[in-house]
Amino acid sequence: MKDICVGLVAANEEIKRNYFLMKVALPAAFDDPLPGQFVMMRIAGLQDPFLSRPLSVYAFSRSQKGCVIELLYRVAGRGTGIMAGLIEGSEVEIIGPLGQSYRVDPLMKNIVFIAGGIGVAPLSLLAGHLGDTFCRETSSMTFFLGARTAEEIVGIELLQKYCYRVIVCTDDGSMGEKGQVTGIFKKEMAKFPPADTALYACGPRPMLKALAGLVGGKYKCQVSLEERMACGVGACAGCVAAIKEGRGKMAYKRVCAEGPIFDLETVIWQ
Amino acid sequence: MSVGLKKDKTAAGMMVNIAGLHLKNPVITASGTFGYGEEYADYIDLNKLGGISVKGLSLAPRAGNPPPRIMETTGGMLNSVGLQNVGVDAFIEEKLPFLRKFDVAVIANIYGESYAEYAAVAAKLDGVPGVHALEVNISCPNVQKGGLSFGADPKSAAEVTRRVRAKNNLPLIVKLTPNVTDITVIARAVEQAGADAVSLINTLTGMSIDLDTREPHLKNITGGLSGPAIKPVALRMVWQVARQVKIPVIGMGGIMTARDALEFMVAGASAVQVGTASFVNPCAATEIIDGIHDYMRKNRIKKITDIVGTLKT
Repeated sequence: MKDICVGLVAANEEIKRNYFLMKVALPAAFDDPLPGQFVMMRIAGLQDPFLSRPLSVYAFSRSQKGCVIELLYRVAGRGTGIMAGLIEGSEVEIIGPLGQSYRVDPLMKNIVFIAGGIGVAPLSLLAGHLGDTFCRETSSMTFFLGARTAEEIVGIELLQKYCYRVIVCTDDGSMGEKGQVTGIFKKEMAKFPPADTALYACGPRPMLKALAGLVGGKYKCQVSLEERMACGVGACAGCVAAIKEGRGKMAYKRVCAEGPIFDLETVIWQ
Repeated sequence: MSVGLKKDKTAAGMMVNIAGLHLKNPVITASGTFGYGEEYADYIDLNKLGGISVKGLSLAPRAGNPPPRIMETTGGMLNSVGLQNVGVDAFIEEKLPFLRKFDVAVIANIYGESYAEYAAVAAKLDGVPGVHALEVNISCPNVQKGGLSFGADPKSAAEVTRRVRAKNNLPLIVKLTPNVTDITVIARAVEQAGADAVSLINTLTGMSIDLDTREPHLKNITGGLSGPAIKPVALRMVWQVARQVKIPVIGMGGIMTARDALEFMVAGASAVQVGTASFVNPCAATEIIDGIHDYMRKNRIKKITDIVGTLKT
């Protein structure tokens, strides 16, 4: 049986305007999350907001006493707005880890991450996991991190630890190269032969759609999708995405259960 | 909390019988909120539940509506899932074997877009081991009648009931829509057509708008409202219907706690369904069962049936 874990907020810091890093201490019973997995979180005892919120796992550590989960999030609406007000010692209820993780192919020579804004969160955990668990050299990993402005570039410090190259870009040029992350990746694409390269991406829908146009059919690329969720465990069928199945068929797959990780080439952009 | 529940007398007093459907307690998980049971099996012991009403089954698999399908609202949520399901054949072959492993009443929730489809789904479930009752969702649009809901018209609601009754011998529950002028008219019509029980309420039609984009939050524009926001409406309708029909009433709509569940029973419900609460707390249904048990002990209620319809007016 899985438990609903009660966690204590150990820190909840605004690292950039509207971007928060929350650390939650959890009991040892909480399973180690795999990169790409998420948790459903709600504030203990609070009826409003009504539903729990899905949040990607950004970092995780375990000690003898228990474990600490780190959640990097952007204040996007009412729910995350209320979450941002949590102080140290607040109780939260967490279900998870949930969903499928990124699949790792240890044979690929190059690993390329492409993140837009808060999409850095699950990819950062993946980069760390590849280094620690699969002993991947930092030199094999390249991270493209984009956002609209410098104010929305978060999580860069950890990435620089894991990846030999971290290429930052912003739409307005206020940090790193000027341009969208897919465009900057396109300029470097020749360095990464498709047969030797695993691509991992997470970011807003328009970014992933642009990436699909760029790499479609050439690269193996896994993406993490985001949808509003109610249950997080596959019961409500509220969080679906349109996914290609064999023989030209389409099916609505649950982002919480069959996802959130999908092969980019199977995602239908409606 | 559940330790010893089976042995004590109160647990025996929690049993209810709805037109031949035996439930070890009056709490059923509502259709569309509990998948096919397996989704929540890691979180709660399905053996503890009175019953499970599975996700609505149609004759063929259905893809459902395009996303976004859900939106949180004050005290609840809207959904326009569009009855996505694996279809009745895949349910029997792939989902039911898992449910058979548990000592719990399995209620097959069915729907159709025509009388013939209702009848065909009901026929496929007749005599299938591990299915203990049928719950007929009459809230869906009648394609042959310009999309008007079967459940919005007493004649078509009764006709669906008759067609299903003719093809299946299991206890027959008809699930009523609240999106009607007078729900008691529909309840009486399905009772006369052979329903063994009614369950109510299904979701209330609603909508939600993103002011920044001036677009609806749901791709389908409208959706079904559920959660505690609808409880007062549900309670009123259960009370109205329970006074008008002789068959048992199963109450639902915004039940979050044992007290909510007991209020429905006082209003006249013989059993209750817990729906959206499971999304918020996967253990909601079993916590409600434990809460009812505690209430009975504290108030020296020997049989839960003694509380049904005891509203003082």
